[in-house]
Amino acid sequence: MHAYILRRLLLMVPTLFGITVVVFAIMVAAPGGVSPETLTAGQNLDPEARKALEAYYNRRYGLDDPAPVQYLRWLNSIAPVGFTVAADGSLGAFSWTKGMDLGSSFRYGRPVADLIAERLPITLLLNALSIPLVYLVAVTVGLQAARERGSAFDTGSGLALLALWSVPTMLAGVLFIGFFASDQYWQWFPTAGTLSREGAAMTFLPHWGTALDALKVLAGAGLGVAAGLGAARLSRPWRVGIGAVAGLLLGGAWGAALPDGGWTSLAALAAALAALLGGAASASVPALRGVALGGAGLLAGLIVAAAVMEAAFVRGYLLDRAWHLVLPVLTLSYGGIAFLAKLTRSSVLENLHSDYARTARAKGLPESDVLWRHVFRNSLLPLVTVAATLLPALLSGSVIVESIFSIEGMGKLAVEAVTGRDRELVLSITLISGLLTLAGYLLADLLYAVVDPRVSYE
Amino acid sequence: MNEAGPQEVARVTPARAIARAIFARRGARLGLAWIALVALLAVFAPFLASSQPLLVVGEGGFASPVLNHLAPEDGALLGVFLAVLVAWRLARRPRVALVTAAGLVTVALIASHTLLEPPRLVAHEQPRQTVAAGDWDWVVWAPVPWSPDDYLRDYGHTGLEAPLEAAPTRVHWLGTEAGGSDLLAGMIHATRVALGIGLVATGIALVIGVVIGGVMGYFSGIVDILGMRVVEVVEAIPTLFLLLIFVAFFGRDLYLMMVIIGLTSWSVYARYVRAEFLKLRQQEYVQAAVVAGLPLRSILFRHMLPNGMAPVLVTASFGVASAILAEATLSFLGLGPVDTPTWGRMLDQAVQSSTFNWWMALFPGGAIFCTVFAYNLLGEALRDAMDSEAA
Repeated sequence: MHAYILRRLLLMVPTLFGITVVVFAIMVAAPGGVSPETLTAGQNLDPEARKALEAYYNRRYGLDDPAPVQYLRWLNSIAPVGFTVAADGSLGAFSWTKGMDLGSSFRYGRPVADLIAERLPITLLLNALSIPLVYLVAVTVGLQAARERGSAFDTGSGLALLALWSVPTMLAGVLFIGFFASDQYWQWFPTAGTLSREGAAMTFLPHWGTALDALKVLAGAGLGVAAGLGAARLSRPWRVGIGAVAGLLLGGAWGAALPDGGWTSLAALAAALAALLGGAASASVPALRGVALGGAGLLAGLIVAAAVMEAAFVRGYLLDRAWHLVLPVLTLSYGGIAFLAKLTRSSVLENLHSDYARTARAKGLPESDVLWRHVFRNSLLPLVTVAATLLPALLSGSVIVESIFSIEGMGKLAVEAVTGRDRELVLSITLISGLLTLAGYLLADLLYAVVDPRVSYE
Repeated sequence: MNEAGPQEVARVTPARAIARAIFARRGARLGLAWIALVALLAVFAPFLASSQPLLVVGEGGFASPVLNHLAPEDGALLGVFLAVLVAWRLARRPRVALVTAAGLVTVALIASHTLLEPPRLVAHEQPRQTVAAGDWDWVVWAPVPWSPDDYLRDYGHTGLEAPLEAAPTRVHWLGTEAGGSDLLAGMIHATRVALGIGLVATGIALVIGVVIGGVMGYFSGIVDILGMRVVEVVEAIPTLFLLLIFVAFFGRDLYLMMVIIGLTSWSVYARYVRAEFLKLRQQEYVQAAVVAGLPLRSILFRHMLPNGMAPVLVTASFGVASAILAEATLSFLGLGPVDTPTWGRMLDQAVQSSTFNWWMALFPGGAIFCTVFAYNLLGEALRDAMDSEAA
């Protein structure tokens, strides 16, 4: 196992080398390429100042060297061992301890390592929140669709997932921001950033003025969920009626929250939500009913609790963060949910009709044991392998999400680096995203051996 | 080659069976219908949305200002459309259809580039002023009487307007863009970019992927190992990032962009074709072709490729969808083609200086969504049809 990991790690080196060569080649082959002229092009300078600036760029970054020399210099500076470089750019003696240096950015004039250390955690946080959400929702939906193959839920969710997969990330993000963050509609979420200014000074956890208020919130949430779950257990006419009424009330509250909305928008939202909740309540799947009605109950309970709360409520750092991340994480994850749910469905279906599942049924196991103890575990295999390809997709997705929501992460940095022709930054981002991608592949292969004992890398 | 006789009509080839299975699916029919609609809009865009009247009757008799303003591309597109129609009618005899279509396209290209000379400087407000002055007796306007580059200078107005909120003198069904031009007109003209990018980029990716994957799969061994390293290198760079680098460094030309999207998305096809060819090369008919001394080109592309194309076609259908998304994403990030209206660039105007213009989000975004959804529906129907064919 160790030998295998070591070999894979060593194999990463030529691949990373190849990636940076490709990206560097694209940059220098472009018309204009990376030259002091293109770097100073946009600035309004008098000729001497321009010349001085160009000479400075040439001296500092060696931009007047031939392209292969530039690449080798860069390679030398990022390699942990190599030649030391003197201040005037000349190569010194060979050193084993010179350390890695990613260089400094043209545009920011700061070390690239610092920039990336600032930006990477935010992007990783976004992805770390998205991946569990994607898996949770996708596996639930996919499993249910496979169990009820050919049912209304199966065909309906199949079409809905394909549609969801086709929604451009930009459209989803813009609609979220426009309707749920702008002051023209519901200003429920912040439009930009990952933390509000006062959020940084708040205590970590939320706190209420009095203990009674906290109790009110807890009681509201608890009672709401209990009422919703109770309603989900009633007979169909009752639960549909209760769901419709709850939808009507919630939709009315939603419409009333619109800054300058008239009666039409209020009525339309109330009707839409009533239809949605009533429809969900009529579903024959208990879990679906429970989630829909319980969620509606939770929401109603919280609204009521917020209305009767007295003293000031401080959000706290944690909730403030979460509040800022709701829309970006949703935007980032819905595509993955659609993709993974379809995969789960086909994987579970394949295993449900397999010989070993039939054997398990034939020996008298209850269907739930067949599903959870036999089929489900085997269906996880393709989901694990696909986790590796999910990571680059999410990294690409964060480029769009971060631009829409003005989040200062790696994705936004990548766009800025590329448009500013920032050679060191582009190369370093390529290196790091390539490294993350390859690490994802390796991790998936190792996980594959963990979930499938037949696979062994000895 | 025998002529198409009555007995040949009844023959069911695998391709025909799959085509029939696809048409049997409602999703695929819906998808095809939407793509056909978009294609029609793309071909007839200058007649559907133009500030120039289709037909006027004045003192000098009949005239058609819109014809005078037709660009060479418009003519070429009409020619291609005609060629496709003719080829469709002659589908029974593929060779004749191909030759006729190629001839028609050539004639159309030459004719449109020599005959069509639109005026360099177009004053879109001129026809409106002529009508206001009463110089024409009778005018037939296009269904959408605005051009995408008509910034309504004569109305002295610039900026975004919600649908049907403008002054009573002019009607904008879907509102106006930031420059003041009509959104619906822009969207109709942008169908060309959406369709063209999807098809051309996927075509380029297909050609590269099939050739590289085919060579890797056929030769295997050292060629395969080296080739797979190249594929891995390309796949380890996030596609969007590679696209960004290309576009930012090579400029924002529309045609260049098609090539670039094609250049960054071939690795999937190479993987599939390689896997298929690795299986196929052991088959007797391939061995027989090798023993018979056929040239490599013939073995690879005439004998092996038709049998290894199935999974590639499915992926290509999804690939068209992602190429359209890629263009929309680049346009949205402000790196799209410069002078061409595209849906992505319109979507980019939805949130500007902290005001939300819902029509700029809903309509262009909805158009992107519908087109991508149509191709995905088609791809899924294709996959289902192939699966049931294989089973």
